[in-house]
Amino acid sequence: MSTQLDEYLEAEIQSLLTDGRVAELGITVNRREHLLVLGGEVESTHRRDEICRQINQRFPDVQIVCDIGIIRASAPSEVEEIS
Amino acid sequence: MIRIAAVGDVHVDKDVLGRFRPALEELPGHADALLIAGDLTRHGTVDEARCFATEFGGLGVPVVVVLGNHDHQSDQQARVTEVLTDSGITVLEGDATVLELNGHRLGIAGVKGFGGGFAGACASNFGEREMKEFVGTTEVIAARLEEALKSVQCDALVALTHYAPVPDTLLGEPLEIYAFLGCYQLGRAIDAAPTALALHGHAHHGSERGRTPGGVPVRNVAHPVIKQAYNIYQLLSETVDTELIST
Ligand SMILES: [Fe+2]
Ligand SMILES: [Fe+2]
Repeated sequence: MSTQLDEYLEAEIQSLLTDGRVAELGITVNRREHLLVLGGEVESTHRRDEICRQINQRFPDVQIVCDIGIIRASAPSEVEEIS
Repeated sequence: MIRIAAVGDVHVDKDVLGRFRPALEELPGHADALLIAGDLTRHGTVDEARCFATEFGGLGVPVVVVLGNHDHQSDQQARVTEVLTDSGITVLEGDATVLELNGHRLGIAGVKGFGGGFAGACASNFGEREMKEFVGTTEVIAARLEEALKSVQCDALVALTHYAPVPDTLLGEPLEIYAFLGCYQLGRAIDAAPTALALHGHAHHGSERGRTPGGVPVRNVAHPVIKQAYNIYQLLSETVDTELIST
């Protein structure tokens, strides 16, 4: 039986990402037709790839699109004056 | 004039080593101190704390931090604090520190904070023991922040927390989880002292700017929100600086 794309699957993915090595609480999971689209931003490419690997491993018959970005870490160019 | 750099939620582990460092090497040229609003590490392990200290330590400016919920994940917060302190990083939890910068005294009071929610949608200290413990924890932490803020003699006072003191800076987060992202008790503590600026993190999908009911500017400096290595805030501007900026 193939995995159903429903709210329980989303909850299971969130708990997989929270409980395991990944420890990402801010990944969004959106259902689109037969696809699961992962969104949000993480601190490294290694972390993004690990998220996709873990979900693929746990749910091999679910098609996943990874739109997770890496947060920029450049120096700022502006100062905000607080008054 | 004092310039402080701030960021939160950097979630450092081995895979993040070196990502912030180029921008941090520039920091002493732009700011007098660096404040970090919790979630320093990924799981709160001692190894990750060492990674954090390597990445964010030894900058040539004072570094002051509070821990976040991620830094509590492994129940090693005491050891994590020790590793950071040994590296010259000041860790605040219900206490305050004063930095002498450019002839001014910058006071920083910090706590991790906790959840509970905001006016009209908050948890009450009522019912099951677990619920009373939850809200009781929030109340104790907020009281410690208020006490720490009031204990400081300084020219500019900054409140540093991980959890949010106002709902304004949560805009973008699902309403259903506001109660797990912050609490009004932190805002009330900030308003009970002459606070110039409140900095927090934790709300990765939130927004940057808000104000407490008492009018204190609040900034969510979570890294996914500011999308750069750190923000810089200027306090105690002299008239001449203001003129330079406004022309
Ligand atoms: Fe975080
Ligand atoms: Fe957090």
